[in-house]
Amino acid sequence: MGAGRRVGAIARKELIHISRDWRILVGVAVLPLVQLLLFAYAISFDVRNVPTIVYDSDNTAQSRSYVDAATNAGFFHVTRYVSSGSEIDGVFDRGEARVAIVISRGFGTAISSGGTARAAVLVDGSEPNSAELGRTYALALNNAFGRSALVSWSATRGASRSIGALEPRLRTWYNPERSSADFLVPGLMVVIIMIVTVQQTAVTLVRERAQGTLEQLLVSPLTRSELILGKVLPWVVLGFLDTIGITAIAIAIFNVPLRGDISVLAVSMFLFVLCSLSIGLVISAIAPTLESANLVALLVSFLPGFMLSGMAFPLASIPVVLQGVSYLFPGRYMVEIARGVFLRGAGWSILGGQVLALCAYAAIGLGLATLLNRQRV
Amino acid sequence: MNLRRYRLLVWKEFLQLRRDPLLLSIVFVMPVLQLIMFGYVVGADVTHLPTAVVDHDHTVTSRTLVHAFESSTYFDVTERPTAESALQPLFDSTRVRVAVVIDRGTEAALLRGETAEVGIVVDGADSKTASVAGGYAGQVIASFNARRISAAARGGGPVLDSRVRVMFNPSLRAVNAMVPGLVATILMISVMAVMSQAVVRERARGTLEQMMVTPISRAEYLAGKVTPYALIAVVQMTFIALIGRLWFGVPFNGDLVTVPLGLTLFMFTSIGLGLLISLISRTQQQAQQMTMFYMIPVMVLSGFMFPIESMPAAIVPLTYFIPLRYALVVLRASFLKGSGVLDLWVQLVAMLAFALLIFGVAVTRFQKRLSE
Repeated sequence: MGAGRRVGAIARKELIHISRDWRILVGVAVLPLVQLLLFAYAISFDVRNVPTIVYDSDNTAQSRSYVDAATNAGFFHVTRYVSSGSEIDGVFDRGEARVAIVISRGFGTAISSGGTARAAVLVDGSEPNSAELGRTYALALNNAFGRSALVSWSATRGASRSIGALEPRLRTWYNPERSSADFLVPGLMVVIIMIVTVQQTAVTLVRERAQGTLEQLLVSPLTRSELILGKVLPWVVLGFLDTIGITAIAIAIFNVPLRGDISVLAVSMFLFVLCSLSIGLVISAIAPTLESANLVALLVSFLPGFMLSGMAFPLASIPVVLQGVSYLFPGRYMVEIARGVFLRGAGWSILGGQVLALCAYAAIGLGLATLLNRQRV
Repeated sequence: MNLRRYRLLVWKEFLQLRRDPLLLSIVFVMPVLQLIMFGYVVGADVTHLPTAVVDHDHTVTSRTLVHAFESSTYFDVTERPTAESALQPLFDSTRVRVAVVIDRGTEAALLRGETAEVGIVVDGADSKTASVAGGYAGQVIASFNARRISAAARGGGPVLDSRVRVMFNPSLRAVNAMVPGLVATILMISVMAVMSQAVVRERARGTLEQMMVTPISRAEYLAGKVTPYALIAVVQMTFIALIGRLWFGVPFNGDLVTVPLGLTLFMFTSIGLGLLISLISRTQQQAQQMTMFYMIPVMVLSGFMFPIESMPAAIVPLTYFIPLRYALVVLRASFLKGSGVLDLWVQLVAMLAFALLIFGVAVTRFQKRLSE
């Protein structure tokens, strides 16, 4: 009997296992879909309509025009006007507003007579992302208002004074509409594939060992590498099908562009599935019980997969030690490739190094899984 | 309720826990790993973005602006190409994440009193960079403008003195907002991971049957199951909060009533949910998968990682069904702002209602299953 036939037999056996357990099918088909929809719909990176309260103790045309200028940008959304400064604390404490615009008495007189007009913008820093944006908008608002006040003051005195100002013109390359699906889906598909494949393969060898069927397999003419190969094969196919499904949904439903060389994506996705499977198999080879295999798989696929892949959090800004750790997981290479191909339109010349890294990873991972499995029995 | 039987049950659970190395590692290793990951990765502030500057203007003004970018900690000017066409390969190879393009004639336009645009290009393939870099650049340009305006105002005229002050977290450190939420999230993950296995394991091993033929009542059994994990959870939370306070330097302005009260209520919702999952699943693996299935949407929709305000309006109502949502509001507000029970009563009542509801369902569910 040839090695090919033996591998085929194991692969067929594995497929039968999978097809008879509906939970696996749910895990492979439904879960990825739910996650994809959830993330892509629920997450938005654009902060707008931040609830804002106004305490205008001046209440003149000038102070009102300052408030109007603030709200016109669409970032501050005035929900309430309060009539005393002490009310502001309560509003912040209860989390009813994130920004408070406070205008001191005498604001209007100062603007029209050339004095110093006092105001303040208070930003709740407990939500750093929107606070940072709030600060940016408030600073820009102050500039624009201060400049126009100065210019019109000069104009009323017959002197023409002009003050130039710079204005940022923001362009977001690769995703000009700033669609959150474009931001997320390429990275997300990598994480989803990793979670699905690692979790499912982590239990395969442990289960066989627990049920005593591993013994039976080992007394057959099957070699150990043939066993690993046969175990991996169906999952390579399933993982690859998942990839194709997610890619199709990304393009058809979320309109994520696919700008680059699709062959890079196909080859590297194939390699990435192999890498994830090898992680699962390594876990399976060393875990003593089904329970611990499950748990370790969860830890390995979820935490590093999500956190250290660069999918949501840029790796360049995390501590160097953790950056080093991130190289030990295939996610970071694949996220780079997926973003490159989908959004940046990259091809082999730019992503070749990452693909090679995946290739080496897969080879080492599968070798390690075979080796560890040998030592255990 | 017989106190002696209850005490024995609690003792049994502790013994079981002590002899199960896996459970112990879930309880003690996982929280630490999560704290490190979240604290350092999610809490990392994005700074020193590699930046390219294209200066077509070559004037004092443009050099001043470039200098302003260089001296900001947010940007590291690493490339100075002479043409805009050179930017494409720099972005494609991810050597830069941000580019600043100063057009020819910028200084001249400023001197004429016009508004001149400065091109800010951000890498839209990287969501976090794209969402923060524009804001940082806006701040650099705003302070550049502010200096010009105040210089102009020296010749007389109105001055707008409007301070922008960030309250509660003036340095805007991400980790300050992350750790309070993390206390609740880690609590939820580890409590649910352990609790969801508690009853189903006994069912699988057949010890549940044995338990039921003893004089132990159902209430005693459930109370005996819950107490050890509740105690462990209290230890965990204190541990995480202390690490957050001492290691990550997160300020604590809260009072010692609101925070423990909020955490206790939230702990009961998590324990109840874990118990419920454990009661309705048939196998341990099923219980684990259900827990996973519950936790992923919760992490996304609770506001833990992404603000609820920026979610689409159709999704927002869903978030009200997530107990973690209320716990996050309570913890963040009391840690950072020092909000008290009176400010946060809505959230506290909501969690209490959830806890009662979940435990109610769990108890009735338990009785049904035994009569099968």
